[in-house]
Amino acid sequence: MSSINLDMSAPEGTVALLRHLLGSGKVSAVLALRKSPDTGAYDIGLIADEAGLDNAAPVDPVMLANTGQILSSLTPAKKPLAVVLKPCELRGFVERVKRDQGSLENVLTISYTCGGVFPLEKVIGESFADAIPGYFKRVASGEIVEGTREACRGCERFIPSSADMTIAMAGAPGSTAGCCIYLNTDRARELAEGLEGKQSDDEFDPAMTRELAAKRTAEKEKIFSSLTPAGGGLDALIEVFGKCVGCHGCGRVCPICYCLLCDFESRSFDYDLPYFEKELAGKGALRLPPDTIFFHLGRMTHMSFSCVGCGLCSDVCPVGIPVAHIFKKVGEHTASLFDYVAGRDVEEAIPVMVFKEEEFDELG
Amino acid sequence: MSDPEKQGAGLEAADGIKSAVRDFLRKALENSAADAVLVPVRTPAEDSYAWILTNDPNLLEKASPAAPTMPVQGAKALKSLTRKGEGTARVIAVMRPCEIRAAMELFKLNQVHLDNITLISYDCVGAVPLQDYVGDPAGSEERFDSMLEARKTDAAAVKPVCRICVDFSLVDSDVHIGLMGLAGESALLVPNSEKGQALLDTMGIACEADVSGWMQAVSELKAEREGNRSEALSATGAGLQGLDGLSATFADCIGCHNCQSVCPICYCRQCYFDSEAARQDPAALLDTAIARGGMAFPGNKVMFHTGRMAHMSLSCVSCGQCTDACPVSIPVADIFSYMARLTQATFEYVAGRNDGEPLPLRQFKEDEVEKVHEIVKGAEEEEAAHE
Repeated sequence: MSSINLDMSAPEGTVALLRHLLGSGKVSAVLALRKSPDTGAYDIGLIADEAGLDNAAPVDPVMLANTGQILSSLTPAKKPLAVVLKPCELRGFVERVKRDQGSLENVLTISYTCGGVFPLEKVIGESFADAIPGYFKRVASGEIVEGTREACRGCERFIPSSADMTIAMAGAPGSTAGCCIYLNTDRARELAEGLEGKQSDDEFDPAMTRELAAKRTAEKEKIFSSLTPAGGGLDALIEVFGKCVGCHGCGRVCPICYCLLCDFESRSFDYDLPYFEKELAGKGALRLPPDTIFFHLGRMTHMSFSCVGCGLCSDVCPVGIPVAHIFKKVGEHTASLFDYVAGRDVEEAIPVMVFKEEEFDELG
Repeated sequence: MSDPEKQGAGLEAADGIKSAVRDFLRKALENSAADAVLVPVRTPAEDSYAWILTNDPNLLEKASPAAPTMPVQGAKALKSLTRKGEGTARVIAVMRPCEIRAAMELFKLNQVHLDNITLISYDCVGAVPLQDYVGDPAGSEERFDSMLEARKTDAAAVKPVCRICVDFSLVDSDVHIGLMGLAGESALLVPNSEKGQALLDTMGIACEADVSGWMQAVSELKAEREGNRSEALSATGAGLQGLDGLSATFADCIGCHNCQSVCPICYCRQCYFDSEAARQDPAALLDTAIARGGMAFPGNKVMFHTGRMAHMSLSCVSCGQCTDACPVSIPVADIFSYMARLTQATFEYVAGRNDGEPLPLRQFKEDEVEKVHEIVKGAEEEEAAHE
């Protein structure tokens, strides 16, 4: 058996799957998006009671935080956990595992072909609930849904790369009335046992989402090409990052930036007045606090090849800098030098952690 | 403010107040009354402002001593310059009153050094919310300039905390620039400390102008704002009561801690809530969730905000940066202003003054120990009565 078809929509089927897992005691808890029936507010629930699943909205187009980051804080798990993650969140978690910031032990990962999420400011708005039903229809038909985040509209990696279970949603026209759950691992097959549905040997076929992937690639190219102001170089960096207020929110919400104290907030980046005086004598003017662009370049050097393009950095930027696509563009470029795809496979080593002899020749 | 001896010097502002302040700063550099100035300058993309320290009189052309918006709290810029101690350069910094008040708090917290810094404040008409500014820089410039020209706050154009700000004028700066109640082409330079007086003396500026009209206008607006402030903060407070009130208020918080990282008072390099100490054991977390039936993430919302409140509300200057930086539009500044008003009143402390009064939590008074005894005794008696 490679897949199970449930006679209900993909969002409903995902909840039914979670009900099966938690109800049968196969997992002790489920980590998934919830929606309050009273206020409509979302949170990410660690749900241990079956009744708690009544509020589960696991595939709603909302990202409050990178679930991979939250999952990290719950692992290593002593008891089995099931978690529903967007593909980018899963890839974020995989990158964290590679850095010893999380463990896959006892974790069942459930992901889905993702239609993208809406910006936080829209999610907290009054009329957000109205947008949901239409969203699932459009996503199923393989549309790029208007109003979703730029990071999502240009995301080509919307197919989960290493999930135990994959649910067909974006680009799957049948997902409004049927929920197809692909069981990619032995663990998935074992835990799906007893789930009532039509079993099949069909495996997930990426070809079914080829059209959507092409649309997303075109959108990504469009966004990428809009990022570089004419001229490039330092002037372009100043133009893009000039309005940065230095809150470092981009770093804090980033699933890859796991340092508790960023180097740029440490004593290493304190300067004394004589230093500033010397700089001033040479340049005539200094921006304070210093190191605005240096911070972004430094962060880029540290994490961009592991950037999973989840888009949270752009979402929390108070001045609307397109951080996510800048980092993704640079990240894809650096990662491609190493044939690396961030979060694709937990066995794939992080490029800067590996030394190959021929690289020394290249350097020479 | 009540000093009847106070006098000022007229500042010619026929080309607008920004231009007048630029001329004043240029003169200060040229006369060697200062070695450098710290002022907001519009970014090259003209989509925001940045603090620039410069000793080049020509660069001042691009400076905007009264910037429409407040991307980085001035006290933070000053902190980055002087956190490690004094240098020899004498710097003039032109800042909003709330920025100077924050600098005073950081001074008491040993995070800024002020020996070689001369602070110039001005009557502030308020700041345009950051998102509004970056969304429409040209329109925001226009709206701000007309406020500045009229010397009157347009409530719809400024941050919510600016609408109810009572410390919009003279604070404990060295020199203040009075604008309110004066005709469009005039302003007042008011020395407010020995350092400020010395600066004006060096520049050959005599203080012979009458300041009573300006002071009258300021105190009238202040009285009006006091009423509005009480009303607005009471309304904010009404929604905050009890754990339910707090939970509802912070329900949308995603735990990004932007509010804390832009706060001029929160100077810790690493917030406790971001530290190893605040991390919980994964197994214990899961067991708690199992015992309770569930658990919500991002967690510790009320804990973080009330914890931050306990740490910094005594020094909160209501600058509104926290609200500007919140990605989910929680009115953090209103909430913290409400709480700050209560905690500061408890200790009869006013944040932002430089009057030798130490931070309340940095001093112990004997009678406070008595008070604590009374509170504990009262609680014990109440408990005994219940039993």
